[in-house]
Amino acid sequence: MDFFLNAASAVLTTGPLAAMLGATLLGVLIGALPGLNPVMAIALLLPLTYSMDPLVALAMVAGIYNGSMYGGAIPAILLRIPGTPASIATTFDGFPMAEKGEAAKALKIACWSSAIGGIASALALMSVGPLLARATLQFGPAEYFWIAMFGMASVGVMVGSDPVKGILAAVLGLLVGTVGIDSLSGQARFTFGQPWLLGGLDLVVVLVGLYALPPVLQLAEKCDLRGLSAAQLKLASVPFRKGEVRSLLPTWGRSSLIGIFVGVLPGAGGNIAAFLSYNAARSASSEPESFGKGNPQGVAAAECGNNADNAASMIPALTLGIPGNVVAALVLSALMIHGLQPGPQLFHQNPVLVGGFMIEMLLTSVLILLVGGAAATRIFAQIQRLPGVLLVPSILVLMCVGVYVINGRPVDLWVMLAAGAAGYLLEKLNVPLAPIILGMILGPMAEQSVRRALLISRGDPTELLTRPISAVLALATLGMILWPLLRAIKRRRAKKASENKP
Amino acid sequence: MERSQDLALGLLVAGLGLAAAWQAGSYHGAGGTYPMVLGLVLALCGGLVMLRAARAKTDAPRRLVDVPANLVKALAAGVIYVALILPLGFYTASALLMLALPPVLGFRRPLYTAVVAASFVALVWAVFSLVLNKPLPAELWAASRLGG
Amino acid sequence: MKINKIIVATALLAGTTMPALADYPQRPIELTVPAGAGGGTDTSARKLAVLLEQKLGTSIAVLNVGGGGGSVGASQFMQARPDGYALFATWNSPLTTVPQVQNVAYTLDSFTPIASTSETAYTLCVHPEFPAETGEEFLAELAANPDKYTYGNDGIGGTMQLAAERIFQARDIKAVAIPFGGAGETLQNFLGKHVDIYGGSISPVLPYVGSKEAKCLVVTSAADVPALPQAAGLESLGLGDKETLLWRAILGPKGLDQAIVDTLASAIDEAVNDPSYVEFLAANGEIPNVVKGEALAERLKSEFDALAAVSKALGLAK
Repeated sequence: MDFFLNAASAVLTTGPLAAMLGATLLGVLIGALPGLNPVMAIALLLPLTYSMDPLVALAMVAGIYNGSMYGGAIPAILLRIPGTPASIATTFDGFPMAEKGEAAKALKIACWSSAIGGIASALALMSVGPLLARATLQFGPAEYFWIAMFGMASVGVMVGSDPVKGILAAVLGLLVGTVGIDSLSGQARFTFGQPWLLGGLDLVVVLVGLYALPPVLQLAEKCDLRGLSAAQLKLASVPFRKGEVRSLLPTWGRSSLIGIFVGVLPGAGGNIAAFLSYNAARSASSEPESFGKGNPQGVAAAECGNNADNAASMIPALTLGIPGNVVAALVLSALMIHGLQPGPQLFHQNPVLVGGFMIEMLLTSVLILLVGGAAATRIFAQIQRLPGVLLVPSILVLMCVGVYVINGRPVDLWVMLAAGAAGYLLEKLNVPLAPIILGMILGPMAEQSVRRALLISRGDPTELLTRPISAVLALATLGMILWPLLRAIKRRRAKKASENKP
Repeated sequence: MERSQDLALGLLVAGLGLAAAWQAGSYHGAGGTYPMVLGLVLALCGGLVMLRAARAKTDAPRRLVDVPANLVKALAAGVIYVALILPLGFYTASALLMLALPPVLGFRRPLYTAVVAASFVALVWAVFSLVLNKPLPAELWAASRLGG
Repeated sequence: MKINKIIVATALLAGTTMPALADYPQRPIELTVPAGAGGGTDTSARKLAVLLEQKLGTSIAVLNVGGGGGSVGASQFMQARPDGYALFATWNSPLTTVPQVQNVAYTLDSFTPIASTSETAYTLCVHPEFPAETGEEFLAELAANPDKYTYGNDGIGGTMQLAAERIFQARDIKAVAIPFGGAGETLQNFLGKHVDIYGGSISPVLPYVGSKEAKCLVVTSAADVPALPQAAGLESLGLGDKETLLWRAILGPKGLDQAIVDTLASAIDEAVNDPSYVEFLAANGEIPNVVKGEALAERLKSEFDALAAVSKALGLAK
């Protein structure tokens, strides 16, 4: 307890507090602008932090990280453009809610869910972090393969009315994910002699094109010359109805646990957490068919899941010295520059700094409630008051600047345009886009881990099933695929029975 | 409408899958097997889509584009914009896009357009060039392009 | 438009009248790092950039271009203009190792070597129950049991794997290479006992040597490493000529003016030997090592040739 009391007294001073407030707001902005993402923002700010008090620097990291995970939901709900890869699942129900005139409600739910996910995750980091980190070491390549498979099984939720086209989209994503150097054999695949393809297609570049360009093109087609009036926006704050919070509680609990679990595993990210949470909420719901049509539970699940990933993803970095994602790597890098050696003894080396960072992850999650809602309605929703024809070039400029600064190369702009044109057509042809992104994220993870597992087992595939954790994960994946089928059959039987009765 | 569209989609995807599988044949080891399997599965999916479309009894109308003229204008603007970013510089090209696209789409309030364009480009400049110090394609008229 | 023309005209005039290199640098420098943000190369480049900013009196923007084991960043950087405002902070692998296994667009001649900054060895570590206590016993155990042990490394054909295979070849050892995405991932799988041997840079595994969860028995430098007292340097194993190091350097594009190279090299020399940088390096198990200009070109060339021989023998060469 002393550990946190000492740390808290260091954090609750003007410097870190101001940094947290400013950075959370900045994070919301960064998350909300398609193309900008927390990794880039933190990497850019890092040099500024070298000469700073480390607690102030880490406060900025915490604020940007937590803020941006929520910020991604704002364009996802208002424009159906996910601000970050982790907010794709938010578009599923967030945008339909906005279309029904419930944008304000969706934003409020996203805000609360993000805060709650972030708080739960920070509490996990503060309490059971080291224990969880040790547990994740049991996850070897075989287990990672099954986690990727488990994620792929959630494609089932996204396929919508046409399973063949859903699978088609997923396979397309998996194939796109193989472009570049194969890290296990060192050979270049599908690069056609182009050096810029060696690193593969950048997920964010494809995401921005695939998801942001079709809505922009549709906006141009609609050719709205007037813009929405404030009344039409209906963004005045709506209070939660009676019982509404209680109905969201199970989803929050479930999504927080999923987000923390995914976050603790090095290499799995917030996007996977959001997909899995969304899928779990749908499976647990008594009316799964209402998902994708504006069910608030869908927004709550996705947003809670992606924020619950954040603090948890710091667990392996802070306790083992193993960064699980780029943000964690940047935090470690900042600590190293301040003369700390990441690893198990980091807690003893500088308890105030490590404990302080944990508290900052917690406080910035709370701050989302304070600045998040206001930012969404005061700043972003106002953008929609601009006539659509002015929004079109503005969003195009933002997309280009965001995509360009990722790698600093013009060819990415063409990739984005091509992905966008393809996305426009595919969507019109009823091919869902989410499985493409999911395939790009999970494909490399699945391929590399299964090949590593087979290298370790000297080519024996039974190893994938005989290890206890992988066996459990394999069964869970199977269950995930079968569960909706079983329920559909059960419902059909029940329907038949009730028809036969009278 | 729907039938011929799905036939075309299936054909395209099947072709893509087969091409990928064929290309993967030249890769050695497990690094080639995986994309080859993916290519074949993709071809299979394309084939299924085609087969289903061919056997479909109904042919519901499905419009691919609602307002073709506007779509073409917007897409062309996007392509021209991206093509101009390098030769003209990022901010010049962006300002041009923001000034030119709205009138092309039929927006007849030049002052409003100009104000939004100017303030928006200024905002992007402030964030990316001033605060973040990110190098963007240099402007045509910038001294460094001429001097260096 | 008229105003633009005037600006253009004045700028042109200024451009022609200005002496080309009078007081370099005049504007911000862009430093390309061919690896993702947050890794070892990135962290040391950023730390160095802060010191260089003071020495050179201009700001330095770091651009991370990861992928392809560094070849993506290198390919992109080789197209930069040799005006001194585009620099490349890399570790040796993209220049000397990656071209052995990948078809890359660049050669050593595509760059102007400026100065190296620091170096460190790779290490091979085992779990505490492994039946060996010294480097010699470790290699003997591996030699006696071909293909029994798995070792994690930084990627097929990466410098770490080549460093290990050079030793293994000399002792007729066969071990199963399991490539991972980086030292962190290798460490994770080593601690979880999914692989038998950790192969990678020293600093990530260092805390686990202290906690007795890892026993580091070999380092790939000729000399011993003070931080790892149990590990044998290659000299003591009679393999001194098999040394393979991880080292970092700053380069420019091909055709960089010699005056600029000299300015930068001396600024880098000062920055690297700044006490704060030496301390930073020591915490990561690295030591400062500044080799400038021609000597650096020579070092790159000889390492390239030595690794070409190893990768050919391994059947990894493209």
